[in-house]
Amino acid sequence: MSGFNILSPLSQFEVSSLIGVNAPILGYLNITLTNLALYSCFILLIALGLHLYGNNDSNLIPNKWSISLETSFASLSSMVREQIGAQSEIYLPFIYSLFFFILFGNLISNVPYSFAVTASGVVSLGLSVTIFIGVTILALSIHGLKFFSFFIPSGTPLALVPLLVLIELVSYLARAVSLGVRLFANIVAGHTLLKILSTYLYKLFSGSVLIAVITLIPFAIFLALIGLEIAVSLIQAFVFTLLVCSYLRDAVHLH
Amino acid sequence: MASRIAFSSMRAAARPRAAAALPRHAVRAMATSSNPPPPEQRASELMEKLPSSPGLLTKGTSAIVATGLAATAISQELYVVNEETIILVASIIFVTYLSKMIREPYKEWAEANIARIRKVLEGARAEHTHAVQHRIDNVAQLKDVVSLTQGLFAISKDTAKTEAETFVQQQKVAVAAEVKSVLDSWVRYEQQLKEAEQLDLTRTVIDRVLVDLKQEKTQRDILMQAVAEVEQLVKNKAV
Repeated sequence: MSGFNILSPLSQFEVSSLIGVNAPILGYLNITLTNLALYSCFILLIALGLHLYGNNDSNLIPNKWSISLETSFASLSSMVREQIGAQSEIYLPFIYSLFFFILFGNLISNVPYSFAVTASGVVSLGLSVTIFIGVTILALSIHGLKFFSFFIPSGTPLALVPLLVLIELVSYLARAVSLGVRLFANIVAGHTLLKILSTYLYKLFSGSVLIAVITLIPFAIFLALIGLEIAVSLIQAFVFTLLVCSYLRDAVHLH
Repeated sequence: MASRIAFSSMRAAARPRAAAALPRHAVRAMATSSNPPPPEQRASELMEKLPSSPGLLTKGTSAIVATGLAATAISQELYVVNEETIILVASIIFVTYLSKMIREPYKEWAEANIARIRKVLEGARAEHTHAVQHRIDNVAQLKDVVSLTQGLFAISKDTAKTEAETFVQQQKVAVAAEVKSVLDSWVRYEQQLKEAEQLDLTRTVIDRVLVDLKQEKTQRDILMQAVAEVEQLVKNKAV
């Protein structure tokens, strides 16, 4: 038991350099392929591969693979139409890409020995802040200065306007963080929990045969947590895209 | 778990006695219908599930090779068994279970959807074929339209020509009638004029005769001529 080398459960989220070039050009340019970049490439390749395979040679009648993709497309399309509006299907490609990027990132992170891209604050917060800025620019381009009426709820007494504007502004700015933190925190929490539990389970399985047999009971719970983590991967991708749709609706329609 | 093991061992212990009380063919029938398959069959089923080609490597060889490779990898520290292995095993178990659970429902759902889409598309194709056939039938009814139109055109040309000739003839008749009426009126005028002249002449002659008759000389001449004629007649009768 003394030979165990227990790492921090958070060490799985460390971004490490796999291949790097530190050339004495352009002020010692450092080009590095990190595990984050590698797994982002995996996500891209899997998304492209799945959609190319699911294209079913452009046949009109789907096969068993492409029907799942068509169904996801239909679900996302109905979500966009319900949330943003029937005239706003222009945002569907963005929402579709976003959903599958997050979904594949989450699902790949459930594969043992892999890296959780979406558990990286850079990715999650980067996505949410970028979307927040984009949505704000979109709202300003559509509504101009009228966009600022978004911060004054209708029917507000004049005396309460400064206070409510402040509250609404903080609430609006918090979207940039909350969207990313929600995804980031869920994935980090789930993976950390699995890491901690697996460490305990490994210790228990490494004990006597009797303890190993008894450990099958908590192992069954651990199996359920694995399932829960896969469900969380799907739910978080859906929640992220649903909230982005909601923000886009606010930007397009103002309330 | 322990209770289940105990229960199954009790059931296994009780089975020979129960089987002895029954005829042999009935026991065989029960074994095939309700009991699990014999261990040899289960083992062969498990071996069949192993991934390998029977022509190249036997199933057993592949299992031995896989076990040996795993043992070598672990003993040579090529693969380190740690907490990640627990996650790996749990993930494999869960994914295998999940895939077995959802395979059939997904297959049924996908096939039902594919059948629905195929039905819709085939229905649309049948409707389209029917519509095209209907259009072809409609157009086929007009297959003689060219010759018919050409005939109608020829008839219309003849009709137009006939109408033109009729018009010319009508114009000629109209001119002739006009000429006839003019001539008739001229004839009537001439006749009236002649009648008027004759009437004037007659009146003039009568008036002159009456004037002459009123003269004594004329009366005497007439009388003399009448006496002469009477004498002549008498003379002739006397002869």
